[in-house]
Amino acid sequence: MPLELVHPEWGLIVPLLIMVGTIFALLVADLILPRDNQGAVAWVALAGLVASLASLLTIDWTAGESTFNGMFRADSFSLFINIVVLVAGILAVLISSSYVQSLQERGTMPMPEYLVLVMFSILGAMLVGAAGDLLIIFIGIEMGSLAVYVLTGFARRRMTSIEGALKYFLLGAFASAILVFGMAWIYGSTGTTSIPEISQQVGAIMAGEQLPEPALLLALLLLAVGLAFKIAAVPFHMWTPDAYQGAPTPVSAYMSVVPKVAGFAALARVLAEGLGPLSETWLLLIAILAIITMFYGNVVAISQRDVKRMLAYSSIGHTGYILVGLAAFSEDVPIEMSIGSVLFYLFAYTFMNIGAFAVVTWLQHRGQGVDLDSFNGLGVRSPLTALAMTVFMFSLMGVPPLIGFYAKYYVILAAIEAEMIWLAVAVVLASAVSAVFYLRVVVAMYFNDAEGEWRPQTTPMLGFGLMIMAVGTIALGFFSGPVLDLAMNWVDAFDV
Amino acid sequence: MDSLPILSLMTYSPLAGALVILLWVNAPANAARWIALVAASASLVFSLIMLAMFDRGESGMQLTESFRWLPDVGIEYQLGVDGISLPLIILTTLLVVISIIASWDAIQTRVREYMIVMLLLATGMIGVFVSLNLFLFYIFWEVVLIPMALMIGIWGSANRIYAAVKFFLYTLAGSLLMLVAIVATYQSYFEQTGERTLNVLQLTQGDYSTDFQMWVFLAFFLAFAIKIPLWPFHTWLPDAHVEAPTAGSVLLAGVLLKMGGYGLIRFNLPMFPDASEAFAPLIVVLSVIAIIYGAFVALVQTDLKKLVAYSSVSHMGFVTLGIFAFNAQGMYGAMIVMISHGLVTGALFLLVGVVYHRAHTRLIEKLGGLATNMPIYASFFGLFMLASLGLPGLSGFVGEFLAILAAFREYQLAGIISMAVVILSAWYMMWMFQRVVWQRAPGEPPDPDDPELKLANGDAPPTVAGGSGDHHEDVDPRTLTDVNAKEILTLAPLAALTIWIGVQPGPFMDLMRPALEALLQPFGGTGF
Repeated sequence: MPLELVHPEWGLIVPLLIMVGTIFALLVADLILPRDNQGAVAWVALAGLVASLASLLTIDWTAGESTFNGMFRADSFSLFINIVVLVAGILAVLISSSYVQSLQERGTMPMPEYLVLVMFSILGAMLVGAAGDLLIIFIGIEMGSLAVYVLTGFARRRMTSIEGALKYFLLGAFASAILVFGMAWIYGSTGTTSIPEISQQVGAIMAGEQLPEPALLLALLLLAVGLAFKIAAVPFHMWTPDAYQGAPTPVSAYMSVVPKVAGFAALARVLAEGLGPLSETWLLLIAILAIITMFYGNVVAISQRDVKRMLAYSSIGHTGYILVGLAAFSEDVPIEMSIGSVLFYLFAYTFMNIGAFAVVTWLQHRGQGVDLDSFNGLGVRSPLTALAMTVFMFSLMGVPPLIGFYAKYYVILAAIEAEMIWLAVAVVLASAVSAVFYLRVVVAMYFNDAEGEWRPQTTPMLGFGLMIMAVGTIALGFFSGPVLDLAMNWVDAFDV
Repeated sequence: MDSLPILSLMTYSPLAGALVILLWVNAPANAARWIALVAASASLVFSLIMLAMFDRGESGMQLTESFRWLPDVGIEYQLGVDGISLPLIILTTLLVVISIIASWDAIQTRVREYMIVMLLLATGMIGVFVSLNLFLFYIFWEVVLIPMALMIGIWGSANRIYAAVKFFLYTLAGSLLMLVAIVATYQSYFEQTGERTLNVLQLTQGDYSTDFQMWVFLAFFLAFAIKIPLWPFHTWLPDAHVEAPTAGSVLLAGVLLKMGGYGLIRFNLPMFPDASEAFAPLIVVLSVIAIIYGAFVALVQTDLKKLVAYSSVSHMGFVTLGIFAFNAQGMYGAMIVMISHGLVTGALFLLVGVVYHRAHTRLIEKLGGLATNMPIYASFFGLFMLASLGLPGLSGFVGEFLAILAAFREYQLAGIISMAVVILSAWYMMWMFQRVVWQRAPGEPPDPDDPELKLANGDAPPTVAGGSGDHHEDVDPRTLTDVNAKEILTLAPLAALTIWIGVQPGPFMDLMRPALEALLQPFGGTGF
């Protein structure tokens, strides 16, 4: 093979370059600024994220160009993933800066390091979204995961934090190995790691065959298991409750969204695009995974008293709902709604789930614990925060007119378009189950009397973040048209 | 449509009021009350303007509004009224104003939040009746749920949390399956015509296979049957009613239950005619059971509110009975029972609230002799009691008579049984009235000149009613003050409408005629 000189299209990776630049700036700031005065770096991180978000406008995403020999693709799918993770990043920085700072005063959580890790993880998720090659997917996922392992253990004086981080790391490393092993089998069967080429090769292998080759089947299984771990699908969810509960609350908020987005992006890229010709084989697998996941998560969440743990199980339940969108995919009749509903759900989930964790953070700032009783009487103590939490809970429950309802509606629509009514029924039944524990939080806030000490404190950044998320959860549902249009564009990107 | 978007104005003026109260963080209680009253009154005025603009000869949707919202998935903002929804809307806007006046003194804690919840509820309820798009309908349908649950859970009585959660879970579970059915209908229509729409009028034109109709009908029916509530889906109702504040009960009985009946008429019948006919016998049986069961259970209640709640189950049975007879009398009957029940039961809950506010009890045994000191109250109570048991000349009679007549034509046995049960409703209502209003109050010495007593006791000294007279901790029902001007203001319009419908139902029926005629077309509608 003759050597070609590669001329990368730098224009396409401007958003990522901005992120890298911000990371360097943060590292330098860590060196320059005195240890006790690093609050300002949060603004640097925010500026970087907003600049990166704004730079998305400079690229023509509909053209679907690629660079680095097709490894990096700037298409409509990656645009959507970029938007979701950058918004999630902005929200995460908004809600975590005061928390990190208050811990920093006790010498446990250095702010710049924290932000650098968050930024690395976002960068990883952006890479996964834009991946045109299995290797990029692996690099992106690892970059994100390693950063989040460290973040989970960031409250390093607390045993549960260390425990959660260790569990997450050990199981995560194992899952990564399985993932790579699956990629190796794909390479062995098709001779390439480029996703579009894999699709062609698999299509060629499948032509005229009734059953897929065992090697491909094994590869499919390994990939699915490895990624199912990343998105916390049952039965690969074991790390989730401990990690979410142990991690500092803003980290839980963050890790419940961005790694999951990266995982779903990878699943969509690998299964729907790369292994699309095998869709008949994996659709049922994903559908069953979805049902087990949504019921397990929602049923187990009912018995939780610790709100962080409850939200962990609830996020497992939401993984199940999102998987329904993926299960509605079909290579033969491309249903716009399928991956579109996955993307829209991820977008909606970002606002409502980070919001729910943010309220827990808000309470912790005011001397409250993380169990359900800490919510008692919040409706009287702070009506606006209680209102925000109510909005998040009802949105997670899927009650209209909040954004969570639209997300669920589109997923149900996708399932019914794919003629899987039983899957749609499962979604609504699981939602009915989930109402029990979400409602419990609302009951505690409004119907129970306040108890315990209350430490008034001002947290402007957190409050602002909460406001954005609450307003977004209420309003973005009504105006979901443009977002939905954007999500539907995946069809062009995947070329199915 | 270029003229005034009257339906939107009517629907969202309560919401606007709620936003004003929400944003005015330190609003004093009285300001919140006044804002709520103004917003709700505006909505009532808009609904009356709507009535004036409404063309009674037309059968289709009128005053329609629409704009493109999420056209890719058939979701559009479409509103409209016809003769079926119009009376229910006016009932709603009227009852909301009355509820706010009734809560004026009764609600003293968290008034601001209360009024916000009340106004949100109003917007949701009106929205249910004006939506022409299934998606929009579903949104309003669910929006009603949260404020109602909050109202029960925060401002209710002792066991309120249990009742609120039960109400919420029950109705949510029912409506979620409806959501799947909505999407399935949409998809089926899309496969038939290639057009993506959730417009009710268009979906009605679809031709759905019988198998499909069967299960989709059931999914819709479950949601509506829980709301109505039809036996055996009624168990949430007594709890919710007993624990809800007075205004909550008024709206629950007056409007929320009607949403179920309205849903059946608006969606189930026109979209799934085959399934409707197939399931009609079953639903008629359930209706008759509800009528009997509600009446018998009401008979043994010791709590006034619970008695009225179970009587609701009985009365609402006539609605489904009328609807599924598929003839003109039945439809008129169902509609008029709904309106009449809204007025009468709403008023009865207000009356129970009046006594509860003064005596802090709703137990029948602790009350008595209210007529002594509360003559106006007793008169109103008497009027609505008679209307509820179906006295000719009052609204209750018209609807139930028509429904029974309709049942006679289609299902004779059901007609006979439900006719007989009307006796029961006279029994529990009049017996309750006798004990609460006329009978001697607990602790009251009997009239020494009462000839019947002399006959019974011979020469023995007269005994005190209610036993030993250790009721000192209770308020003596004879000392209660009569209804005040505010309370009369809430009761008088309901009384006037009850009498009007009872004496002259013609104009009300004319209003509904074209829409009902069109509705019955596929069922070979007769009798107009």
